[in-house]
Amino acid sequence: MDDFFFSLLLAGISVGAVYALIALGLNLTFWTTKTLNFGQGSLMMLCAMLTVFISSQGLAITLAVVGSLAIVAALGMFIERWTVRPALESSGGSMGWVVSTLGFGIFLQGMAAKYFGSQAVAFPDVVFTAQDFVTVFGQYISLQYLVVLAVAVALILAFELFIRRTVWGQAVHAVSLDPELALVQGIPVRRLILGSFMLSSILAGVAGVLIAQIGGTVDPAFGFDLVLLGFVAAVLGGMGSSLGALAGGLLVGVISKLVGGYVSTAAEHGIAFALLMLALAVRPQGLFGRPEVSKA
Amino acid sequence: MKIDRRSLALGAAALTLPGLVRAQSGTIKFGFTAALTGPFNEFGEGINRGAQIAVEECNKAGGINGRMVELAEVLDDQLVPDRAVQNLRRILDNREIVGLMCPSGSGPTLAIADMIQADGRPIINPQAQTPTIVYPNGPDKPPRPNLFSISIGNLVESEKLAAALSEFTRIGILHESTGYGVTGADLVRREIMRRKPAARVTVESYNQRAQDMTAQLVRVQRANAEAMLVIGLGADFAVIRRNMSRLNINLALFGAAGAVTVPYIEGAGDLVAGTRAVNHAAFGRRPMHGAAQKFADLYRAKFGTDRWYGPDAANPLISLAGTVGSGYDCINLLIDAIRRVNSTAAADVVRALDQTKDYEGATISRISFTSQNHVALKLEDLGTYEMLKRGDRVVLELRD
Repeated sequence: MDDFFFSLLLAGISVGAVYALIALGLNLTFWTTKTLNFGQGSLMMLCAMLTVFISSQGLAITLAVVGSLAIVAALGMFIERWTVRPALESSGGSMGWVVSTLGFGIFLQGMAAKYFGSQAVAFPDVVFTAQDFVTVFGQYISLQYLVVLAVAVALILAFELFIRRTVWGQAVHAVSLDPELALVQGIPVRRLILGSFMLSSILAGVAGVLIAQIGGTVDPAFGFDLVLLGFVAAVLGGMGSSLGALAGGLLVGVISKLVGGYVSTAAEHGIAFALLMLALAVRPQGLFGRPEVSKA
Repeated sequence: MKIDRRSLALGAAALTLPGLVRAQSGTIKFGFTAALTGPFNEFGEGINRGAQIAVEECNKAGGINGRMVELAEVLDDQLVPDRAVQNLRRILDNREIVGLMCPSGSGPTLAIADMIQADGRPIINPQAQTPTIVYPNGPDKPPRPNLFSISIGNLVESEKLAAALSEFTRIGILHESTGYGVTGADLVRREIMRRKPAARVTVESYNQRAQDMTAQLVRVQRANAEAMLVIGLGADFAVIRRNMSRLNINLALFGAAGAVTVPYIEGAGDLVAGTRAVNHAAFGRRPMHGAAQKFADLYRAKFGTDRWYGPDAANPLISLAGTVGSGYDCINLLIDAIRRVNSTAAADVVRALDQTKDYEGATISRISFTSQNHVALKLEDLGTYEMLKRGDRVVLELRD
């Protein structure tokens, strides 16, 4: 395979896998509450920054990651309870959750700048370094890229299995279809919603750690752009579909890199997004989404 | 009581120029807007620290002809041009401010340049690199009358970088998509082509804070580049260096002064070894000249061996000159000009700055301006450094 094409493909798949994780996180809360947590970017940043902070206190990097994920999971609960639930409970079908989740994200950014400083800080290598690689059929493949891909794909597949094969997964599915009927059936809707926000935050945290490892630095403004790309991946794949999130993320990543490599790096996102708009014009429900039918 | 015409005229003048009258008493006030917070605050907070040291040093020595100096307006713009404009409006509304320092970047400085020129008060640029800041109509035309610069300007830097790259024929330039990056890349490319018309230069851009630069790097690699120059800031340079390693791209790597800062060293770790960069020569020479050593000692005494200074007490980071020392020099130049003319009137201070000759700054050993030349840095003030790993530390060694 052409080295040039292969390098672009691998990088596209790797960053696309991160977009897919973000998209899955957005899907999760969309299923249970029909809302999106626009503070996901700040949770990514916070998890990465907390990992740096905790590991700098002498704790092993894996424990630092686990501890940071636990903190962002708790923040996920907080977001559901104090930013989303009040907006949904208000009369008139308020869209206040858009502002409150975004606002909470900006608040987290500010707090991170105050307590960790606003400059970029070095992010430690979690599993492999940028110099670690394997050679497959003469192609040089970075192990960091492979880890990002493997973790993202494993999480998404595990999640798909959870939804399809477990009782709790079926319960989530039921809530996504009709939360009121699910409540009447005895499904603990409130706990499921809370759990979806926790899990969504954990996914954001994992994505943050993975991408910070690629870049090597993290700062309080980290993550905001990535959420936009994750959102695009979710819509392209079909809002609410796990496999759609994976396909959408990979597609956004690969198209961006190929456009950047073969056309122009300045147009990397511009042309890629134009292609995606075209795809959505042809298939508005996204690649794996189902068209919504409203019954009178 | 008899009031003559002369007294009336003086009284009227005093009423119409209250700022001038107030400025003649009390402290002598300076002001500036800079990126004190935000992802680029290594520059803004840096010049703030340099300015603080200069003010404290001056006041400890008795002030300017007996009057103390003060940083009366220090505002945060986070390197956002709009915010810099708002801040400068507020600073200029304070008629007691008699001298200013430009923001810490080309975008905000370009945004405020016309406003400050119209106001007429003296301002000195510590860090912004774009030449149009000083020479809006081209470098061969007169400068803005009240705007002076001690920064590493793109013009001089491009000459030094082109000289450092002269051993290569196929060169890649990776630059950030800001005014600083675009202008810098264009000037270096032109200078390379002027020196070596057969050279092949591939230019690629990236957005600040991008997390993956694979597309840019493989394009440079496909052009068979032997060397690559990065014009951008440290955190992005770290992403590029790590990305190069993941793609197994091994080119001779060069960085502009803004790129070889602490975030690059921290973010890229051991990978920085071998990187060559252009920066102030003053902090790489041993012994350092008097003003540079004095500034380094003052900084260490006030702030310790911190992120800006670096861990080695005897050898401050080279980037300390550009990030902090330039702020120290700007305020000292204003102080020196006011002291020489014994006036804080804008026209007098600007005239005195125009006559600055061989002033010993910390970052530039001999600073001179004339009415036609408002840029102090010359080619010999820059050095080419190589980053080396010594034990667990990264050091920059002056090569040229």
